[in-house]
Amino acid sequence: MRILSLDSSTESATCAILDDYKLFGEITFNYKKQHSTVLMPMIDTLLKNLNMDIHSIDGFVVSKGPGSFTGLRIGAAVIKGLSQGTGKPFVGVSSLDALAYNLCYTSGIICPILDALRGNVYTALYNFTNNKLNMLSDYMLLSIEDLIKTLNNHNQPVCFIGDAVPKFKDNLTSNIKQISFSPANLNLARASSLGELGLKLLKSGIQDDLYSFAPFYLRKSQAEREYEKKLRLQVHE
Amino acid sequence: MEFILNSVEDTISLGKKLGSLLNAGDIICLEGDLGTGKTYFTKGIAKGLGIDEPITSPTFTIVNEYYGRLKLYHFDVYRVNDIDEIAEIGFDEYIFSDAVSIIEWANYIEELIPKKCIWVSIYKQPEKGPNYRKITIKYDGNRYNYIKELK
Repeated sequence: MRILSLDSSTESATCAILDDYKLFGEITFNYKKQHSTVLMPMIDTLLKNLNMDIHSIDGFVVSKGPGSFTGLRIGAAVIKGLSQGTGKPFVGVSSLDALAYNLCYTSGIICPILDALRGNVYTALYNFTNNKLNMLSDYMLLSIEDLIKTLNNHNQPVCFIGDAVPKFKDNLTSNIKQISFSPANLNLARASSLGELGLKLLKSGIQDDLYSFAPFYLRKSQAEREYEKKLRLQVHE
Repeated sequence: MEFILNSVEDTISLGKKLGSLLNAGDIICLEGDLGTGKTYFTKGIAKGLGIDEPITSPTFTIVNEYYGRLKLYHFDVYRVNDIDEIAEIGFDEYIFSDAVSIIEWANYIEELIPKKCIWVSIYKQPEKGPNYRKITIKYDGNRYNYIKELK
């Protein structure tokens, strides 16, 4: 099964074509969000240089979030269009899963963190055992302090990856004992990682619905926000 | 800081002065009743940012984008019923960018407004005359210390 994979959930605009045995090609630009202008030419260039036709693709994979609002919507729109036009299935995979997969064979906890602004991160905890990436938590929107608390409760070595690393590196380093960080060459969303995870899903018959699929943004619930507002008011008084 | 002004031109001129001082990433919140001149004040800021395009109120589009010395995002959240509507257009990605953001009716979405911002309140002064306005400018954060230069 040959698939085309696309991730535009972060600063990285990345596109890959792969099958079970081989990554045929991948184009990644990790510089300023410019997804709406670069994504389609990237797909076109990739197909042309591989002498492949869009109809030779058996399925599509797209990042389903969390991440940039605009980026996620651009990616979902592109993949839905390609899927509908070719009549081939597509599936959404979380950008956090894909980032964690960049660090497969890492021991301890793998912790991708994406900048959710206001001192928060989008995150989830993983480990890699028996050649498989396992999720140890839900997808979460946490303040960096709450993430540190959660990780210290696990009391295991942690390796961080993701675009929020530069922002929080010092804070994390001074508060977590056994800590490491992804090298720069792995620290970006790569469509090949996302694609490999998606390929497994598509092959096992899991796919998303063209009309009901929507990216998830992980916003705080109304109740949480009201509670925080209440706390803020108390501080002011 | 308080300004008592008595014409639209004065409102624009104060906006222009502020606009010429702004830095990338600054956030300006505007509060005040209908017809007090929030959009005129914004027009002034746009001038100060070197934007020549006509500025119209984004009441229905929620946000308009302009390009000058700095990029400008002009929001009007008057029509918003639910704060989630604003959050879901990717509000944070707009306001935490390197553009200047102006938010009319910011008091409607106070919980989404970062603490460090410039807050401008515009009120009518009917006892002085129909065109009189009191413009109060407050700010939080050292990055906005240049407000002291406004006269």
